[in-house]
Amino acid sequence: MSIRRAYAVNQWKPNFDDFCRPDAHLRAFKTVRAAGFRAVELRGGTGRWDPLGRPASIEATYGSLSTFAKVLADVGLDGVSSWSVDPGEPVDEELSHGRSVLDRGQHAAIVEWARPFAAALAELGGSRLVVRALPPAWQVGTVDDDAVDTAAACFDALGAATAEHGVRTTLHADVLSAAADADVLARLLAATDPALVGLTVDTGELTLAGLDAADVVRRHVDRVDHLQLKDTRFVDTAGERLRPHAEHAFLTAGGDREVERWFHEVGTRDGLVDAPAVLDVLRGNGYDGWVVFESEQTPNPASTVMLNGWYAKHRLGL
Amino acid sequence: MTYRWAYMDHWRVDTPRGPQTQYANRRLMDDFVKQISAVGFEGLDMFDFQVFGLSGMFGSIAKYQEYLQDHGIAKIVNLFRGIMYDPRVADAHVRETHDEIVESTRRMLGMWSDLQIENLIVMPASLWTTTAPVTDDKIKAAAECWTRVGEMSLTEFGVRTTGHHEFFCAIRTFDDIVRFYDLTDPRYVSFFCDTAQHCIAGVDPVELYERLHDRVSGFHFKDTVQQDTTSAYQHRPDAELMAPQTDRWFHEMGVEGGLVDFQRLVRAMDAHGYDGWVTVEHDKANIGGDYAESTALSMWYAQQVLGKVAS
Repeated sequence: MSIRRAYAVNQWKPNFDDFCRPDAHLRAFKTVRAAGFRAVELRGGTGRWDPLGRPASIEATYGSLSTFAKVLADVGLDGVSSWSVDPGEPVDEELSHGRSVLDRGQHAAIVEWARPFAAALAELGGSRLVVRALPPAWQVGTVDDDAVDTAAACFDALGAATAEHGVRTTLHADVLSAAADADVLARLLAATDPALVGLTVDTGELTLAGLDAADVVRRHVDRVDHLQLKDTRFVDTAGERLRPHAEHAFLTAGGDREVERWFHEVGTRDGLVDAPAVLDVLRGNGYDGWVVFESEQTPNPASTVMLNGWYAKHRLGL
Repeated sequence: MTYRWAYMDHWRVDTPRGPQTQYANRRLMDDFVKQISAVGFEGLDMFDFQVFGLSGMFGSIAKYQEYLQDHGIAKIVNLFRGIMYDPRVADAHVRETHDEIVESTRRMLGMWSDLQIENLIVMPASLWTTTAPVTDDKIKAAAECWTRVGEMSLTEFGVRTTGHHEFFCAIRTFDDIVRFYDLTDPRYVSFFCDTAQHCIAGVDPVELYERLHDRVSGFHFKDTVQQDTTSAYQHRPDAELMAPQTDRWFHEMGVEGGLVDFQRLVRAMDAHGYDGWVTVEHDKANIGGDYAESTALSMWYAQQVLGKVAS
């Protein structure tokens, strides 16, 4: 096993009616493969307009998971590296408006919701269920020890369930998440079972939230089992990510500075992420998982795939 | 398959300042070079007139090539001569203009002499519309012209002169193309096979390659989904961009409904031991698409489909 690079396909689907047709998927997969990536990371979703959002949707679109796997194989990809999911998002198929890991009464439903993803990942060659660590900070407020223990109990149960399929549950702290905080993240990891729950470091998200991604990796290197690489030229110095409805006002609309694009290709000009340092730490610790590149907020996904591919090969040695 | 892939540059992107090429600034150039390198291109083809912009941007064309090498592109392989044909000044079928064509080509190649350019690509005759009727003597005159140019380019600059026959070129049919090469000196004039251009003109590029394989010095691998069924090659003033039949003649390799049989062509190239550069081109990709995706799809096809066909 060695470090392999994968690509997240989230950017191709900014809206419900984009990226629905298999021919559009095929063009994206070919683009990803041509730029040297070996697998794709899918994003959880719901409904008939999100055909790659959940296993049942893939089956409805492609006939079966194995048929979908063959499409990937025919393109030259090894499969699906990982699936990024958020327990807080609505699930039409389950008549759920979204669930919270901070509510013990919903833990069992969260575990059941996640099982099909883990099973499908196992069939598609994947090994990581990337789970949003905590809901948005502006909704959660102060994360006390009880909240940490509650969330940790859910993640341990989730980790045990996905492990049955050989899939690791790994926590992802995005810029809006209450877990995008050095203290909260450290307490959350300490409260979870290292045998069942790992950490996904998303370099762009953590940096925008004000954390040093390389420091996070150094601090939790034994827990890092998944890496998502993107860059940013900004830090949320004004704390806009903590304001109500930051999903729209900050992340989508650009915040007070009206920033047109928070995230960039790895190694972008004036980028704040030290991706080589992150890789150095991981390699030094024998990391052998996936490195997933992302293109969030790019105006041209294909172009960003190729720029990331160049950087991966020529600057990161991947 | 021992050939290497080069990229024929028609690139442009949408920017906050509107559509631009990478010759506009270094940032766009950085992005362009990284993108083509990322998908496996090792060489770059371009139009001869870019020497002016690149010298301004990098100080000299040699420094630009050093910059390419720093980013994973080995060299500039081929130059496409953007010659402006005019029977009063420069037109291959007009013998009185041959001196000017030779001299202007000498001046142009002198600007690139610091590099190791392999081919000077030319359309060997003017537009069909301005040349017709196409006679044997006009083809012979063109052959004389490019033999002179080819001798000069090879002996003085080490660059081969090679003919590229657009579907609207005066020398466009199978028989006329073969006649042209029969009349040129094989030491000095070679053939550059543009797959889509021949298909549009109703010429099978594989059959043409088989006939002229010992004269071939390169390829433009691009596809088309339609032949010229409306005599578009006669359309004035331009057949490539303004023909009523379609607004987009060219597509990337692997396009659905593509007429070029690339797998058959690669097998033929293997059979004849072709081991030079192969250039990917998909001009006009921005019409209903964009260059980045077309470039990636082309190289996906080259690697995953043609790479498995070739020996």
